[in-house]
Amino acid sequence: MPIDFLLERFAACGDADAIVWNDRAYSYRWLLNRIRHWRHHIAETGVPEHANVALVADFSPNAAALLLALAGHGCVVLPMTPAISESKQEEYLALGECTWRVRIGADDEAGLEALGGESRHELFGMLKASGHPGLVLFSSGSTGKSKGVVHDFEQLLENYRKPRAALRTIAFLLFDHIGGINTMLHTLASGGCLIVADDRSPDGVLDAIARHRAELLPTSPTFLNLVLLSDAIRRHDLSSLKVIAYATEPMPETTLARLRELLPGVRFHQNYGLSEVGILRSKSESSDSLWVQVGGEGYETRVVDGVLQIKAQSAMLGYLNAPSPFTEDGWFVTGDVVERKGDYFRFLGRQSELINVGGEKVYPAEVENVVRTLENVAEAVVYGEKNPILGNIVCARVTLVEPEDRAAFTARLKQHCAAVLKRHQVPVKVEITAGPQHTDRFKKVRIP
Amino acid sequence: MDRSAILNLIYAAIDEVNPTLPPDRRIDKSPETQLFGRGSRLDSLGLVNLVVATEARLAESGLAVALADERAMSQKQSPFRTVETLCDYIALTLQEGELG
Repeated sequence: MPIDFLLERFAACGDADAIVWNDRAYSYRWLLNRIRHWRHHIAETGVPEHANVALVADFSPNAAALLLALAGHGCVVLPMTPAISESKQEEYLALGECTWRVRIGADDEAGLEALGGESRHELFGMLKASGHPGLVLFSSGSTGKSKGVVHDFEQLLENYRKPRAALRTIAFLLFDHIGGINTMLHTLASGGCLIVADDRSPDGVLDAIARHRAELLPTSPTFLNLVLLSDAIRRHDLSSLKVIAYATEPMPETTLARLRELLPGVRFHQNYGLSEVGILRSKSESSDSLWVQVGGEGYETRVVDGVLQIKAQSAMLGYLNAPSPFTEDGWFVTGDVVERKGDYFRFLGRQSELINVGGEKVYPAEVENVVRTLENVAEAVVYGEKNPILGNIVCARVTLVEPEDRAAFTARLKQHCAAVLKRHQVPVKVEITAGPQHTDRFKKVRIP
Repeated sequence: MDRSAILNLIYAAIDEVNPTLPPDRRIDKSPETQLFGRGSRLDSLGLVNLVVATEARLAESGLAVALADERAMSQKQSPFRTVETLCDYIALTLQEGELG
């Protein structure tokens, strides 16, 4: 059974903490018993093997136990967080051809219900034929429609067979996200402890680190930038923290430099993960460098036309509702534009976010880095806007620390950028905004 | 908004844009100043910056006007020849807005 190696490891961990949730610790022994309980309950209730089961939950002890119990039963599991709207959930249930649903409430009580219908998609047919459990994640890209990403769960679990360092780890990324699933599997497969931070504000997360002596914080550059802005580092004892791992978007150089200054004892580690291929192991050239090696066992990389391509053993089977993004010879086209230096890559940004100004390419992250160093700038997002003269122009949407006259600020920003950047990179249009510039998943929003 | 107000608004936009331009591309605040075309100092990037800066100032006066759009591009004579023709084009666009 695909989860047997995990069950053996959990048994060996005995009374060690597996999960901290609502300030209570749950041991590996508890988790193991719970997985057995749910396996039994799932079978008793008559959930067929290979059923498509929506698991509507945030990180919790029973959510972890149920995810593994369902995989053990051979099901296709579709994690969804309760935070998504009813209509979004309906959309996912239909797209994922869910025949059963488990809902876990805020009290960690779970309810299992039959939804009827059957799964017909050929990718589900492939899973059934192979006898493997599945995992479906919905990529809710900041632009465009959600895509259903179908994984062979058994294949994905292979990535966790080799135990790594057992660390007390904050579950920051969400339960329905490849990064969140990876945090959980990685932590539990290594005998670490998963600390669920229910308050995901900078102070909430840092408070959880301090109280539960967390060693690893996997998060996003956008969240780290908010941590800096909120000045929360000064308010919490972060002496237990050893590693901050970040992924999902390019790290602003200014943010990294400032964090290293404030947290000199912490190692910074860049991960590279995508819903479609899983999380690649990566190694930064050094803690203050944005150059990383990506790959590791089971992964190969190559660069074609400046765009990173990946061949992965644990790649998804395919999308439920979109054409295959694989080349004919089986490479996944990531859409991430990279620079290459020997074995190292530097991520310049998404190909789809690249701004073409009269034939010259502009990477938003490069401009954002410069805008962010300007005095009185709290946050900056750079994006392109169509323009009849140049094709596209560079625009900046900026959050200020203190109010400032728009025209005066715009002039200041342009002069600052003109001194450092090439002329076509300097933002033409500048907008000052009061609202937050990230999604509720702490990912930057780059839409006009 | 009368012509002299529009002219002042364009001058303010010139003040904003000039410091970001190489010295040999900076332009004078005068109705005769050539903006774009033969013998002008601005290149396309300079022109776009000036037009967007002008639009932003109009917007601050409560006037949402798109100056660089298909309509401007399809005028028989480009509105971006001189400061004066730009001023005329803005006045015309505002007037049409009032009538429409």
